[in-house]
Amino acid sequence: TEWNVSVWGKRRAFTEHIEKLNELITAKTNGGFTLNISYGGLSNAKENLDGISIGAFEMAQICAGYHADKNPTLTVLELPFIGVNNLAEEVAVSNAVYKHPAAVKDLERWNAMLLMPSPMPQYNLVGIGEPRDTLEKMNGMRVRATGGIGQAFKTVGAVPTSVTATEAYNAMESGVVDSVAFAQHAHLAYRTVDIGTWWSSNLNPGTVNCPVVMNKDAYEALSDAERDALNSSIDESIAHYIAVYGEVYKKWDTVLAEKGVTTVTYAPEEIAKFKAAAADPIRDEWIAKMDGQGIPGQELYDTVMSALEAARK
Amino acid sequence: MEPIEIGLWVSGFMLVAVLLGMRVAFAAGTAGLVGLTWIFWNKFGYDPSRFLKAVTIAVKTAGQVPHAKVSSQALSLIPTFILIGYLAYYAGLTKALFEAAKRWVAWLPGGLAVATIFATAGFAAVSGASVATAAVFARIAIPEMLKIGYDKRFAAGVVAAGGTLASMIPPSAILVIYAIIVEQDVGKLLLAGFVPGMFSAVVYAILIMGLALVIPSFGPRVTGFTWKQRFMAIPPAFPIFFVVFIIIVFIYNPFGGDAWGTPTEGGALGAFVVFLMAVYRGMRWTEFKDALLETAKLSAMIFTIIWGVLIYVRFLGFADLPHAFSNWITGLEQSPMLTLIYILLAYAVLGMFMDAIGMLLLTLPVVYPAVMALNGGEFVSAADSAFGMSGPMCAIWFGILVVKMAEFCLITPPIGLNCFVVAGVRPDLSVQDVFRGVTPFFVADAVTIGLLIAFPWIVLWLPSMA
Amino acid sequence: MAGSAAVLEDGSTLSRLDVGLHRIEKILALISGLAVFALMVLAVISVGGRNAFNAPLPGYVDWIEQAMPLIAFLGIAYTQRDGGHIRMDILVGKLQGRALWLAELVTAVFTLILMLLLVWGTWEHFARSFDFGSPLWSRDSTIDIGLPLWPSKLLAPVAFAILSVRMLLQIWGYARAVALGLSEPVAVPLVMSAAAQAAEEAEHVSSLDKGDN
Ligand code: NA
Ligand code: NA
Repeated sequence: TEWNVSVWGKRRAFTEHIEKLNELITAKTNGGFTLNISYGGLSNAKENLDGISIGAFEMAQICAGYHADKNPTLTVLELPFIGVNNLAEEVAVSNAVYKHPAAVKDLERWNAMLLMPSPMPQYNLVGIGEPRDTLEKMNGMRVRATGGIGQAFKTVGAVPTSVTATEAYNAMESGVVDSVAFAQHAHLAYRTVDIGTWWSSNLNPGTVNCPVVMNKDAYEALSDAERDALNSSIDESIAHYIAVYGEVYKKWDTVLAEKGVTTVTYAPEEIAKFKAAAADPIRDEWIAKMDGQGIPGQELYDTVMSALEAARK
Repeated sequence: MEPIEIGLWVSGFMLVAVLLGMRVAFAAGTAGLVGLTWIFWNKFGYDPSRFLKAVTIAVKTAGQVPHAKVSSQALSLIPTFILIGYLAYYAGLTKALFEAAKRWVAWLPGGLAVATIFATAGFAAVSGASVATAAVFARIAIPEMLKIGYDKRFAAGVVAAGGTLASMIPPSAILVIYAIIVEQDVGKLLLAGFVPGMFSAVVYAILIMGLALVIPSFGPRVTGFTWKQRFMAIPPAFPIFFVVFIIIVFIYNPFGGDAWGTPTEGGALGAFVVFLMAVYRGMRWTEFKDALLETAKLSAMIFTIIWGVLIYVRFLGFADLPHAFSNWITGLEQSPMLTLIYILLAYAVLGMFMDAIGMLLLTLPVVYPAVMALNGGEFVSAADSAFGMSGPMCAIWFGILVVKMAEFCLITPPIGLNCFVVAGVRPDLSVQDVFRGVTPFFVADAVTIGLLIAFPWIVLWLPSMA
Repeated sequence: MAGSAAVLEDGSTLSRLDVGLHRIEKILALISGLAVFALMVLAVISVGGRNAFNAPLPGYVDWIEQAMPLIAFLGIAYTQRDGGHIRMDILVGKLQGRALWLAELVTAVFTLILMLLLVWGTWEHFARSFDFGSPLWSRDSTIDIGLPLWPSKLLAPVAFAILSVRMLLQIWGYARAVALGLSEPVAVPLVMSAAAQAAEEAEHVSSLDKGDN
């Protein structure tokens, strides 16, 4: 069996678990089951769920926030200030939501199954000009942030501004935005760190959730041996991913030092204030919206919280 | 059958369909759909009972492409830049520019043709779309050249070639699209286009003067303008310099501090100023409507090719052809420079059968990484590189070379958009006439590209100062 | 004007259908042109709002992406009507009479098949983003401000269906020309004949003589 896998961009930390998965299952099945990973050749990022639903390819990486209405249940993981501190916790909360019947049903509309997360660290800001090291200074700041993170910044008077990721560098250089919220690997890839002067190291407002999904029919058509090979390789693939991302963290610190970017550490009171302004109202609004669609919003949110608690024990 | 073999068969099929006169957009779309069906059925082992399933998946896969691919901010520049061209025409800006160029340089051998080239180059600083530039100058410059006895084919060729300059001299839709596909700094690339664009214009002008000196029946010089008349012609052309000034100030903000916006926004702002000028100059609804309809038509033509080609590209992705090609290029055991020249030659051939933007969308995702790898990688230093320039500089240099190839593609037969557009404006000229008239400019373009390869600093000195 | 050719008209049913459809095509093309204009205005509002009031247009990119299908699709049949989609006519241009119409007929039939399949494919793409049970009927939305995507996805099958009707009329026109051996059929774009071209050239020259030089 050969599965086509649709991902986008270049090979990077963000896709290393899929590469590792391929390595592992190929070895376990003696080449009987392989993944043919295509970087952008099979679909646009935003159409990957469509491709899965059609059966054009068997596996794909998606980001919930790119198309909230396609996967409303998953957007619980993108709510601001959930409180996730590291990648291991992100894996735990993601897996808990992926197993929830509402999420399973949500993805079934696309004939899709959730396989594993691509845990991303909390998005933080790289900005130009004077460091915005208090909430007050964020008032009027033009920030490139999408979805729930953008909403969160709005609650403290910042102005979310749409620019595409590829235009982020130019937007910052030309003053269209004062700061950009990305994960570290994206700040490196889109070179925002090259012109930024400060970095919001511990603001941790939230992140984007990007699971790897499979076509349900293709999964069911696997032989028992193939399915075992696949399922038994997930943990090791994720562990590999987290190790690779550790290298990104290391590189990140070096780059910050090299480029002379100021690391801003927010006082706990500032973060508490931000959280109070953003977390509760946005969550309540989200739950109400889900309830309107017959999706158990509160239950999904509680799932996240209890998974987080369990992961910390 | 191997997917790559299917890829080659289907590519051959597309070429035949184009040769037989099928519209390029639909030939590419059909080839893509046939190819996708073939790929999926191949995956099903050619089981007859699953043929319909293969067709269904192929049709649904192809059906995603048009909407997904045209809903792009990057591509939104194309129609905006086309509209600005027509609005400038109705505002009388192009006419004023041409008049000024005529009074200043038409005393040269081949004077009116030289004036046309410099006027298109000046207009290129406002217009970002080559096709619109060619369409507008076909209306202004060709009649004047015919009046004084130019060969009508050559007159049309001058306009078709001059029109291409709009894609190199900033602002330029094609340069922005290149920057976005390869994720490079748009501002620097636009800056880099300025010198090579002017350089191209000068090479065109030298070619025309040479031809005029050799061919006695060439259009006569236009003399007799007094200095007073020359200076009088400048104020009417001011509005165009004003628009250029606005765009530059907006993007680069010479007053210190942050710029006011992105190059994309600068282009749109320039277009809006031109619109206001057109209204001020008395543009009425009927004229505005004509400008809108012509913009709609050129946009529909270009976007249909874009999604048609991208259905075909989607099929190539499933056939894994890009990957194979990239491996092949980087595995060649010859000098990187020779490989680069082969790549540019391949662009010249491909450009005959493609439109410029379709060609870039088709090739860049594969060719760009391969070229960067040839040079030694994205982060290579100038000292360690194959082409003697750092990774970011190579990205700019290759971008300018590719855009020059794209401009070339706009005038090469059988599919040269600028020639089609010029022939469309002038019912007395067939497309073949324009192609014949534009032929001398192939030589000029070849010379320009050769010099840009031999002396990369022509491209790089301006952006390296920024 | 981009590579346009003449389309003849007479009082026949085919010609009347052609003219009627052309009216609809023109309205759609005008909407497409207005969308381009709107794009420009949108940019100015966004830039102005940001620089003057620190109030950038929320979801600016989302709105642009919504406008693009209007521009890309709505003019497609209008452009096809007079042969505006580019092609290579070196070979076809050498043909005459029945052979010419037959060649045109064949490529028109293939184009119709392609467009019918794409009406299906793009409709499916629309249908996946549409859900009667969801708020705003939306099952797919834009990234920043969550605009429903189904309206803009619907434009593709609609525009392609109109192009399919246009192709049907052109096929009818070409088939009629093949069957009756016509030299100047109605309702199809005509590649100008050498004679007509020469006549027009003569006219052009004489109009220049009368002109202001
Ligand atoms: Na230009
Ligand atoms: Na060409």
